[in-house]
Amino acid sequence: MNYRDLSTVVRGALMAWCALVTLPVHADGDEHAVGKAVYQKWCAPCHAPGITHPGTHALSVKYAGIKSDVILEWTDLQPFYVEYMVRHGMSVMPHFRKTEISDAELKDLAAYLSRNTPKS
Amino acid sequence: MRTPPGVSPSDYAKALTEFQNIVGKEWVFTSDEDLDLYRDAFSPLMNEPEEKIASGAIAPTTTEQVQEIVRIANRYKIPLYTISTGKNLGYGGSAPVYSGSVVLDLKRMNQIIEVNEANAYCVVEPGVSYFDLYHYIQEKKLKVWIDCPDPGWGSVVGNAMDRGGGYTQANYRNHFDSHCGMEVVLPNGEVMRTGMGAIPNAETWQQYKSGVGPWIDGIFSQSNYGIVTKMGFWLMPEPEAYLRGHISCMNFEDLGPMVETLNYLENARITAGFPDLGSPLLGYGPIGQVQLFFESGTHMALPPEHMKLLATVKDGRSPELEAYGKQNDIPYWQFWLSFHGPMEVIEAQWQAAVRHFAKIKGSRAKIVDKTHLPINPADAEKFHEPELGIPSLRAFSIGARSPFNPTPSKGHMWFSPIIPRTGEAIIKANKIFSAAARELDMPLFRTFTLPACFWERSFIFILATPVTTDPATNKKYREGFKKLIAIGGEQGWGEYRTAPLFQESVMNVYSFNNHVLHRFHETLKDAIDPNGILSAGRYNIWPKNLRGKRG
Repeated sequence: MNYRDLSTVVRGALMAWCALVTLPVHADGDEHAVGKAVYQKWCAPCHAPGITHPGTHALSVKYAGIKSDVILEWTDLQPFYVEYMVRHGMSVMPHFRKTEISDAELKDLAAYLSRNTPKS
Repeated sequence: MRTPPGVSPSDYAKALTEFQNIVGKEWVFTSDEDLDLYRDAFSPLMNEPEEKIASGAIAPTTTEQVQEIVRIANRYKIPLYTISTGKNLGYGGSAPVYSGSVVLDLKRMNQIIEVNEANAYCVVEPGVSYFDLYHYIQEKKLKVWIDCPDPGWGSVVGNAMDRGGGYTQANYRNHFDSHCGMEVVLPNGEVMRTGMGAIPNAETWQQYKSGVGPWIDGIFSQSNYGIVTKMGFWLMPEPEAYLRGHISCMNFEDLGPMVETLNYLENARITAGFPDLGSPLLGYGPIGQVQLFFESGTHMALPPEHMKLLATVKDGRSPELEAYGKQNDIPYWQFWLSFHGPMEVIEAQWQAAVRHFAKIKGSRAKIVDKTHLPINPADAEKFHEPELGIPSLRAFSIGARSPFNPTPSKGHMWFSPIIPRTGEAIIKANKIFSAAARELDMPLFRTFTLPACFWERSFIFILATPVTTDPATNKKYREGFKKLIAIGGEQGWGEYRTAPLFQESVMNVYSFNNHVLHRFHETLKDAIDPNGILSAGRYNIWPKNLRGKRG
């Protein structure tokens, strides 16, 4: 199966961007400092709350009546899914290169976004 | 492992080792998984055998590294393809024009070298995005504005090199025109600085554009003659206030005089903000409000009677609709004007603009926004942010899933010819391209399209062509797109910019005197880049060794 075909069977979307030019190292007492910064830089411009963020608006339709349209509030997000979406994109959300989000940053992002997901 | 066309596997292996020695192993990409990240996410050739792919990618951090990479590429005849942030979606993204090239990914060259508030300029590297520059300026509380296109993740340098545009004042909206000085790595690996930067220890590199002798900066845009590693831009001093209003007219025939008046006001710099043209009666909103339509669906909320009358419109005209508009006080045309500057100045400019439009019988003026600047960041969403120099990704609501777009697209390609700044040309472009779109079965028109005013003196007619997941549909649209280019060419109209797949077709329109312009481009290519290593095929400029041989 071509990887793009996979995008038809996976759900949701993750997009990217914000302000910080450099990402912080883990801060004392906040294990998700890097993941949060990656989210703010790369995801929030499309996935912050409100329909002025196209990713959130898209998810509000896709998951209407099922779950929140804000990915930060999801409780079923698995790290592999975050990693898949960032590297493969969906709809008008493009994939992201390793010069944009490195593998290490992606792991931190995935850990942050899946922090509310019960560990099985 | 993929190998660039025309390069032996052993030579490529040696080159890769040398590239790794320059940038580190981590930043030379050769696996299929990594190279798939260099596919164009909006490719109209998606998943087809002809889709343009990379054989490798290298991500340097300094000009010196770029120089070394270019020298190595010359030794082994490796075709390189340069990208900045790689977010040129709709115009090729991060994929090479010549499939199999090695992408030179400059995203990691992300230094903001200087932002000078006193004389309002900046110097940046290619990996710096509009978001990066904006936030740097905000964090340092500098009183300057950037001018950005709709997608804020684009490269300041890359967008200018592709000759993109933005939304603030006229002298900043043309991003290439607003640059001042560049540093370029030439195909032989030498580094050159243009304009005043050619003077060692230059003190005015970003203060005087042309230096002395031939002003060559233009040849590095939409081309493949060098790799720009630094570029200066003039910034707009933060204005004191902002005023935006619209002028409305009720008759179809008012369009021509309205355009003539706008031209005078803009050419005389009585208005310098982004003019935005809409038609409430035809259900066509100004560009700056397109995102609002996709967010709120207000364009779907026309009464049934109004919707029914839209079916009577032909080439923008419908006497029945015009009568309906007059009965219900819905303007045929509405031109939005915006002004930046001291409040007393922009109020006077607005009044002068209103006075000139008043020559058109029945025209009405209304101020919609009048505010001191800077605005409260929390209020930015109330505006089309780029018109206030604020980058966002909000424009991706166009194409994304929403209640008003239940079937999201996979991307888009922009058909965007430059047309004359007349009301007559607007009607003619609608007539010609809507007839062609119907015949080609392309979903480009609702009822009517109005042009954009990114550039002074001309209009740009923009039609979004969707990219889908169906190869047959994409093929139909690709072929249709090429026909639209040729049809525009027959009228003397050409694109300002286009995706790699269409660059040959577009360049073919610029055919005066047996394509002498294109022949000149390739003459330059032969002289500057005899080994043909830089961005082969970009804007149909092919090196001698590939001319006529490419697929």
